[in-house]
Amino acid sequence: MSALSAENLQVARGKSTLLRTLSLKFDATESVAIIGPNGAGKSTLTKALAGTIAPTEGQVRLGRRNLAELPAAARAQSIGFLPQHFEPHWDLGVAELLEIGAARSHGLAADTLEKTMAAFELGGLERRRWSTLSGGERARVLLAMVLVVDPPVLLADEPAASLDIRHRLDLLRALADRGRKWLSVVVVHDLDLAFSFFDRVVLLAKGELIADAPAAQLLDDRRLDDAFGVRFERLRTGEGWHLRACR
Amino acid sequence: MKVWLGLAAMLLLAMIVAACAGNQWASPADLLRAIEGDQDVRSRLLLDWRLPRVVAAAAVGALLGLGGTIYQGVFRNPLAEPYLLGSAGGAALGATVALLVPLALPQTWLLPMLAFAGAWGATMLVIGISRVAGAVDAAGLLLAGVAVAAILGALRSFLMLALSDETVSLQVVLSWVLGGVQTPTWRGVALLILITLACLALSHTLAHKLDVLGLGETMAVAFGLDVHRFVMLAVLAGSVIVAAAVAFGGLVAFVGLAAPHVARWLVGPLHRPLLPAAALVGAIVVVLADAIARAALPPAEIPLGLVTAVAGGPFFILLLARRLRS
Repeated sequence: MSALSAENLQVARGKSTLLRTLSLKFDATESVAIIGPNGAGKSTLTKALAGTIAPTEGQVRLGRRNLAELPAAARAQSIGFLPQHFEPHWDLGVAELLEIGAARSHGLAADTLEKTMAAFELGGLERRRWSTLSGGERARVLLAMVLVVDPPVLLADEPAASLDIRHRLDLLRALADRGRKWLSVVVVHDLDLAFSFFDRVVLLAKGELIADAPAAQLLDDRRLDDAFGVRFERLRTGEGWHLRACR
Repeated sequence: MKVWLGLAAMLLLAMIVAACAGNQWASPADLLRAIEGDQDVRSRLLLDWRLPRVVAAAAVGALLGLGGTIYQGVFRNPLAEPYLLGSAGGAALGATVALLVPLALPQTWLLPMLAFAGAWGATMLVIGISRVAGAVDAAGLLLAGVAVAAILGALRSFLMLALSDETVSLQVVLSWVLGGVQTPTWRGVALLILITLACLALSHTLAHKLDVLGLGETMAVAFGLDVHRFVMLAVLAGSVIVAAAVAFGGLVAFVGLAAPHVARWLVGPLHRPLLPAAALVGAIVVVLADAIARAALPPAEIPLGLVTAVAGGPFFILLLARRLRS
């Protein structure tokens, strides 16, 4: 049985269809990159899988249960969601943000917060306010808030887009590594990183599922070039792959 | 802990000063004598007129602080305020109807009920308008609020002109609209304190969810909050609190806006400490403003709402400027 699945998922807003009938299955442990050009429906798919928007047709299943029928509190505990942009309205402190994240679960061990702070290299930042944090620190705080309850499913919507390259590498590697223990589904903008770090790649274009395959297999697929409207030169590097786009 | 002790001490001090201040100044020794049961006329006046009014002012201020904090939390906007969003204007319209239109129910019941209906109706109207107009962001909400507040104010003025006659003097309504804490009986004071404590408890139940909502709508939903339902619930609670404040204190501007800000600088933005801190700050401000209203131009009394606006505006600008510079 798959940990998370979409069955004939369709999302429409007003007259425009954002996602056309789409089915996907995810295992309990794997790292999946969702890629595609702008307007492909990557964000919409992630949000629908996370249950933060309701599908127009079809359903998302978490294990055996229909996500739409699951109590919101249970969903929040099982699915961690990293949004594209996060800017709290009030200038909260790091420890306060983590406490809000931890409040999703009731049975957390007393030292969970401390351990999470250490795991995300946030030691010493407890009392710092959000407005005083650097971009990299903010990304780690957000990740810590979402993962403090250790949800079995993590969905991330291009969380690294605004980070510099070193922090982007760190964050995407951490998200992909999480797939060894749990399910980690991440919208990835940077194709090199998607193919180098993730087990499986899902390719979307114009709201439709174009391909869904192990990373190594999809890399050679011409549909990749068609979806992005370019011709890729695939270069093997020491650590993974480099895709150079030509017109 | 230091902050809380400081706030409590400030409130006590403000109440003592306010109890001494007035048309006829009293000394703290006079106050003590009055509380001990002295039967002198001056002491009776202090005990039956000035002290209950000071306590009532503190309660009204606390309610305004709570109401303002909830509105700012719900609308995730530091500019949100019961007055800007039309909620207090709605309460005032309801109360004006209660004061001017002869209805079957006794006024003591009718006024709070209509004030609540007005506060809640106005806020729902503002939310509705901004939704229909597709302006769910802060600016759209505020614009809708300002428009609704203006319309409600015009309606209230019209009612005041059209319905007041010899039996109901315009003076009564006007002094109330300009803001002024009534002098309750000690029984009334007890009721008001109970209501304030109930509102404090009510706001405490909203505190954590206000924090979650403050993360932004997307994160709030991801963290399991039913945003739509919670906003409706919190607006309802905020309306109850605003209606209570308006029913006992008339239209007192600015406190609901400033108290949460000051409290946020003192205890931070987490709502569990913020709500009671804003209540304390609001209480201090209104107690002092009410003292000024009574003592500044004897024997006349300045409407409280004018004092809070005149004294509070510059104070707020000063704080804001200091904060921007640091």
